[in-house]
Amino acid sequence: MTQRSKFKDPGFILAIVVLLYSAFVWIWWPHETYVAGVALTAWLMLAGIILWFILAVVYVFWIEHVEKSVKEETERRDMHENN
Amino acid sequence: MRITEAIIVLLYLLFMIGIGLYFYRRARSSSSDYYTAGSNINTFVGAFAIAAAVASSSSLMGAVGSGVTLGLPYFFAYAFGAIGILPFAMFLISGQVRRAGVKTMPDFFDQRFGRSVQILSAIIVVLAMTFYMVPQLTASGLIGSYVLGIDYIWAVIILGLGFTIYAALGGMWAITYTDLFQGAIMLLGVMVLAMFILFDHSGIFTLLNDALAVDPNFGDVTQPWMAYFGLFIAFLWFGIISPSVVMRNFASRDAKTARRSSMWGTLIYLLLFLSGMVVAMAGASLGIADQLENADMIFVSVIEHYLPPIVGGIMLAGLLASIMSSADAMLLAVSAGVAYDIYKKNINKDASERLITLLSLIVMLVASVAGILVAINPPQLIAIMVGWVGGFLLSSFGIPFVLGIWWKRANKQGAFAGMLGGAVVFLILVSLQLLPTNAEPIIAAPVSLILTVGVSLMTAPPSREIQDQVDRYHTHIEAEAKAKAAVTQPEGYGYDTDR
Repeated sequence: MTQRSKFKDPGFILAIVVLLYSAFVWIWWPHETYVAGVALTAWLMLAGIILWFILAVVYVFWIEHVEKSVKEETERRDMHENN
Repeated sequence: MRITEAIIVLLYLLFMIGIGLYFYRRARSSSSDYYTAGSNINTFVGAFAIAAAVASSSSLMGAVGSGVTLGLPYFFAYAFGAIGILPFAMFLISGQVRRAGVKTMPDFFDQRFGRSVQILSAIIVVLAMTFYMVPQLTASGLIGSYVLGIDYIWAVIILGLGFTIYAALGGMWAITYTDLFQGAIMLLGVMVLAMFILFDHSGIFTLLNDALAVDPNFGDVTQPWMAYFGLFIAFLWFGIISPSVVMRNFASRDAKTARRSSMWGTLIYLLLFLSGMVVAMAGASLGIADQLENADMIFVSVIEHYLPPIVGGIMLAGLLASIMSSADAMLLAVSAGVAYDIYKKNINKDASERLITLLSLIVMLVASVAGILVAINPPQLIAIMVGWVGGFLLSSFGIPFVLGIWWKRANKQGAFAGMLGGAVVFLILVSLQLLPTNAEPIIAAPVSLILTVGVSLMTAPPSREIQDQVDRYHTHIEAEAKAKAAVTQPEGYGYDTDR
């Protein structure tokens, strides 16, 4: 079985990014600063929803890369053991 | 009655029921086909299906209604959590759960923690998903009474039974393919509406200024911080804790398809919310929020104001689509909870596939009737009711589920205590109304976390076999063939003894 550290998992790392950005918005919470008549906090959340989609794209390609390398590594090890 | 709109909506309903009838034979052939469409759904269909499953009446009517009533920041707090649903679930659970080879959420709890946790989770799924029908039925009643000119109660009954019929007949096959149409209608409908609005107001900035001119508080944070934060965390976790969304993940052909479906589904959902933002601004600019009997009807008022009847009819069908596509997935989760997770796995292990799918069909009808009875006199705004369901699921099994995947040391006792404790604390907080609305999971979810971790550490660790299983969740080796075999032979990978 190919064992990788859970802390290096793309999902774990990107989940941390989500939590960090969320923490930034919820801790700062600039509800008395206005941009174009709307509280800045709302615009930060709008930026967040765009970021979520970007992270989804990053995850899909990153995990496909990881799976490919794990598969190659497993095949190489199997071949080595058979020889 | 609005004749043009009514004809379009009725034709649409007949078309959906036709799809249910078309898939009836295939769905009844096995429980794998019924619950996960034989794990054979491609990226294109899967993306629309998963976006449609996530986007309920709440995402359109509820978010817009509450956004106009409580201000644009409330709409964005909703979107901030909701659009994170699919990515966050991908990051934390989707791949691991697929590698577990299970087909329902309680199935996973059985594999990881044992029978007692599985039964408790199945009961929670059935309760939450049955209540989740209420906001969907409320929305369908509002639209039905508006379009057909009939009493709200009759609209709830007719439309509720309508979507129950096709979901019950066709299972996941019908649900996924109706969701393809529903997702497309929903997306196109709301984007066309947004374009009409933007054209009418000469652009987004003019529209925003028009809204602020009518309602100067539209851009303000009007509620306590906790109300926004509670809504956000309930929705961010929704893809992880919602059985109806998690089950979509299993319907995909393979892991790559499941991920890409979720990625494109996120884009569809994002476009839906950006269009919804335009609708909310238009709703505020109309200045009619105070005059409406139900704030959630603002969306319908915007349609009526900006669209000609024929396009409006298509948009109303799109709204119904958003309701039906979520409600059918919830019905499926309820039926799987009772027929498969409780009956098949615990009461009658030898039950035939046909008996299970028949039982599922009966359970769907019963759940639908229960939802209709509550929806006749709905307890709250749509967005708030959906927030309750998300909060309840997060507070009960959100933490045990994620820790079950990521923390080997989590055991049966910890998961059971965390699940039960979180659920009870949530229900007490809702009934006492001590906190701002939807803020309950801010307290209940940490209680679940403390109980899961604390009780796990105070009791014996899980067996070596279970710990190895947790390692296998994270191998990045897709055992698709094994997973598919397990789906068709579910008892083959279950554990027979309670651990």
